[in-house]
Amino acid sequence: MPDHTSNGMQCNEFDSLLTDALDDVLTGIQLDRFQAHARVCRTCGPLLAEAEAGRNWLKGLTEVEPPASLVANILASTTGVDTQRLWTTAPARQPHVSWLERLEASFLEPMWAMVRQPRFAMSFGMAFFALSVGLTVAGVKPADLKEISLRPAAIRQTYYHTQARIVRSYDNVRLVYEVQAAVHAIRRNLAPAEPGPTKTKERKNDTSQQPEQKQERNYSQTGDQLIMASAPLALDNRDLPVVSVTTYRRFV
Amino acid sequence: MEDVQVVAMLVRRCIAGDAAAWEEIVHTYNRRIYNICYRFAGSADDAQDLTQEVFIKMYRTLSSYDHAKGAFVTWVTTITRNLLVDHFRKTKQDRMTDSIDTTASDHEDAQPLSEQIPDQSAPPDARVRSREVAETVQAALSKLSPELREAVILRDLQDMDYREIATVLKVPEGTVKSRINRGRAELARLLQRTYRQVM
Repeated sequence: MPDHTSNGMQCNEFDSLLTDALDDVLTGIQLDRFQAHARVCRTCGPLLAEAEAGRNWLKGLTEVEPPASLVANILASTTGVDTQRLWTTAPARQPHVSWLERLEASFLEPMWAMVRQPRFAMSFGMAFFALSVGLTVAGVKPADLKEISLRPAAIRQTYYHTQARIVRSYDNVRLVYEVQAAVHAIRRNLAPAEPGPTKTKERKNDTSQQPEQKQERNYSQTGDQLIMASAPLALDNRDLPVVSVTTYRRFV
Repeated sequence: MEDVQVVAMLVRRCIAGDAAAWEEIVHTYNRRIYNICYRFAGSADDAQDLTQEVFIKMYRTLSSYDHAKGAFVTWVTTITRNLLVDHFRKTKQDRMTDSIDTTASDHEDAQPLSEQIPDQSAPPDARVRSREVAETVQAALSKLSPELREAVILRDLQDMDYREIATVLKVPEGTVKSRINRGRAELARLLQRTYRQVM
């Protein structure tokens, strides 16, 4: 605001007195000076008119009615008070609700709503399909279910029958393995001994001519088989005794 | 005018966990806070959300109120104003892009500012016209800078005295008066411009 002086009043002073003038608290000589300045000052005169008009516009605005749910929402978000209580001035009498209706409303309805969802229906369908395929593969027929007796004695009898059948199967399998093992042992005893290694590879840079300490490795699958090694007889050394070496193969 | 002792007692009961006391506070001040929020934000939905936020903040910080430092209504208004300023800062960009054709109000039958000018040649129903004028003024109010807007709202719509406004806005009384003058003048100029465009 420019700092002009008109009628003994500066524009700054006029500005500070403007609110008081509009509030009608200016009186006496101060009011006269204020009005005189407004009449002659080209800046402050229009400012007074505009400020007065603006205040009148604002005073014309009426109070806005808050939404009816505002108080209820505030209380619900602060204290967690049940908002339904605030909607009615007088508490309405609750109609009688049977336990069946209550069960339906609290349990069955939400469950039914969940079941109606497509993804749940798909999951249920897949589970039913997997179960039916499993039962078919296991040889269970729906007609057999009718003959199932659920009496304790019958269940006990079924249990013992099943247990006896499993033990019998196990014994039979064990007998088969024992026979197979005996046959393998006979074959092994009748078969000729395996020839030993014919030639050993010479070590590089070996100047000592000492026999190699490291054992030869044989990674055969049959671990418990004995190797019968025999040295080949040379034509000029036929009188040398035959030495049999028995060794166990290494496992890796 | 609020009775300081009664309000102080109400606040003490609230802090002690009396739900009825809190309900009484909500009933007493919700209208005032909603109106401040509505006039500042210019939107009914925003005003409702902001009012709820104000009360949530009040509920959490009620123990910090000291009746010796000032009136409860001033404390409440300060909380409201701080939240409104925060809200304004968040939505500043949206407001900068407002044009004269944007809808200024969320109330039913709200029209763009350019369509809210009353038709002088054919006098409409007085009630409808009054509502249209109110919406036009609200639209112009929303175009004021936040400093000027909050000052004129607290003075001309909430009838707070200059000292209380100075406390809420944390500025000297002289600054408050200056902002009120400039806010009123700016509002009048905006409305004159709007009407002149139509005429």
